[in-house]
Amino acid sequence: MRLAIEITAPHLRRAPRGFAFLLLLFLASAAFAQTEVTTTIGANQAAQIIRIVVPFPELAPSAGTATTPIDSGQVRELFFAPLTRDIAYSGVFAIAPPPPGVPITPDLLKRISAQYYLKLNVWIEGEEHVVEGRLIDASGQTQLAKRYRGQAAALTRTAHLLSNELLKALNGRPGVFLTQIAFASNRTGNWEIWLMDWDGANQRRITFHNALSILPSWSPDNERMVYTSFVRGTSEMYIINRRGGGRVSVSSGVALNTSATFSPVSNDIAFVGSVRGNPDIYLIKDDGTNIRRLTSTGSIESTPEWSPNGRQIAFTSGRSGTPQIYMMDAEGTNVQRISYDGNWNDDAVFAPDGERIAYTSRVNGRFQIRVANLITKENHIIAGEGSNEQPTWSPDGQWIAFQSNRSGKWQVYRMRADGSDLLQLTFTSENKEPDWSKKPE
Amino acid sequence: MNKMSKALLTSVVLVLVVIVPACKTTKKQIKTDQTTTTAQTQVPDIPVQTDTGTTVAPNTDFVDKSAEPTEELIPSDIDELNRWAASKGFIRDAFFSYDESTLDADAQTSLTNSATWLKGKDGASYNLLIQGHCDERGTEQYNLALGDRRANIAKDYLVTLGVDAGRIRTVSYGEERPFEEGHDEASWAQNRRAHLVLVR
Repeated sequence: MRLAIEITAPHLRRAPRGFAFLLLLFLASAAFAQTEVTTTIGANQAAQIIRIVVPFPELAPSAGTATTPIDSGQVRELFFAPLTRDIAYSGVFAIAPPPPGVPITPDLLKRISAQYYLKLNVWIEGEEHVVEGRLIDASGQTQLAKRYRGQAAALTRTAHLLSNELLKALNGRPGVFLTQIAFASNRTGNWEIWLMDWDGANQRRITFHNALSILPSWSPDNERMVYTSFVRGTSEMYIINRRGGGRVSVSSGVALNTSATFSPVSNDIAFVGSVRGNPDIYLIKDDGTNIRRLTSTGSIESTPEWSPNGRQIAFTSGRSGTPQIYMMDAEGTNVQRISYDGNWNDDAVFAPDGERIAYTSRVNGRFQIRVANLITKENHIIAGEGSNEQPTWSPDGQWIAFQSNRSGKWQVYRMRADGSDLLQLTFTSENKEPDWSKKPE
Repeated sequence: MNKMSKALLTSVVLVLVVIVPACKTTKKQIKTDQTTTTAQTQVPDIPVQTDTGTTVAPNTDFVDKSAEPTEELIPSDIDELNRWAASKGFIRDAFFSYDESTLDADAQTSLTNSATWLKGKDGASYNLLIQGHCDERGTEQYNLALGDRRANIAKDYLVTLGVDAGRIRTVSYGEERPFEEGHDEASWAQNRRAHLVLVR
């Protein structure tokens, strides 16, 4: 069995060859331990897109005939559509369309320059849908075989699970198909916290405060979110689990309690607290104990965000006269200014590599997403219509979700980190403050 | 110019400086309410909603006034009280410039006016919630912090004017609760404010 590992992260491409080779060896050995496949890595395969044929599933077991009738429209909508979307947006695969009515053979794959064929079977056994996926290479060998069983409601998650397995098998690491994006929506008449799948599907409400509830932020284990709600008249922090249960409040004893975000390495939460009208960055344990103030200027400090290793915190400060991005150690020391472009910068978020930050930057009176490399100090604007704010990275660093008012209302969008493949994810009422879950699985 | 006339001039200027801004009404104030400043001392124990400011013409008609009821405020209806106190100009919001949290002369006048009523016999029984608001042109998270600062600056000013700090709570809504939904300077100006709300 072969496994091609592809390095697509631009900063790795620029790294010295020796380093890249060591890293490849490391990744290869890690992948070997997990999946028990041998690996062959060619340097010139690195940026290669894998062409794959993905026909609509056969609605019967691979051996035998279907006994229970199955709704092919439902299979298309809940399974095949999200599966092909995942594959098409993976950045690893390109879907090669086979000529219609021709059996898919190794010869055909070669003729249309496809390396793989994903053979799908979906049928019903009793009350449950059974899904089989087989990844077959151009020599006719099965590289991966997976079977899933569940209610019709589980078909979409099955699609994401299967896409993820494909990517792991051929790219050495999972995709973001199982990730979730938390956001605030006012579609019930109040702003509440909602969740959606990475492709915008399956939008569901998880808070029921009937009061202004905003700024959700995921825990590093994807199990909890911290957010701000005005349900008791003033703004307070709450923690809730991903299914909407287990809600607790985190009483800080100070005002504001906004922009809360979990540390990636400890049980600290960074947030904006205020005493007598002086907003500063604070830390507090997730059980509401051990509050510490990290900044102590007379200016406004806001919007803390942890570096991936938990050692640094980016934040916004008005100390220079306009809101700008700064960075400090997690103890509040060693403060450095990061942004110098324009007169309003906010919402800094670290890419998972820790080398880049995205933030909101005002350009000609509108806000745009700016991506800055912390090592080279270079930055560039990802320009778009309207105002674009509150970026959040996907856990693989390939995507940025953000809010834009380009349609006249605030909606959540997704794009690649270079600004390509833009997709609107929300359409109902207004939606904002996306926060992408932190782990791929 | 001798010393005497200089002193006289100074005091005239001082009087103008103090009185003129106090008489100035803010944009949203009802123009007909000319009795704002004097009415403060005249309101009865339970505020009475009398006819608003038609003090221009003397009463020369022959309609029997005793057939007209006077409208009284229901003291338990706090929303109505807020509407009434605002319409009378007793409680006034402080407005801010873009990305600013300092009080200009108009904002100070509004708060001075509010402090007077809050310390008076009608206002003394109420507490105050000050909401900090921002316009949509900033970023949301920074604006929540800016709104907090605006609310607290208004609170501090009321406290220096003698309103008990223990009576005042603050909350920031940032740009989450705009008063005007428009995307122009007129709307934005309305949305940059410390909004004073009477509470029990």
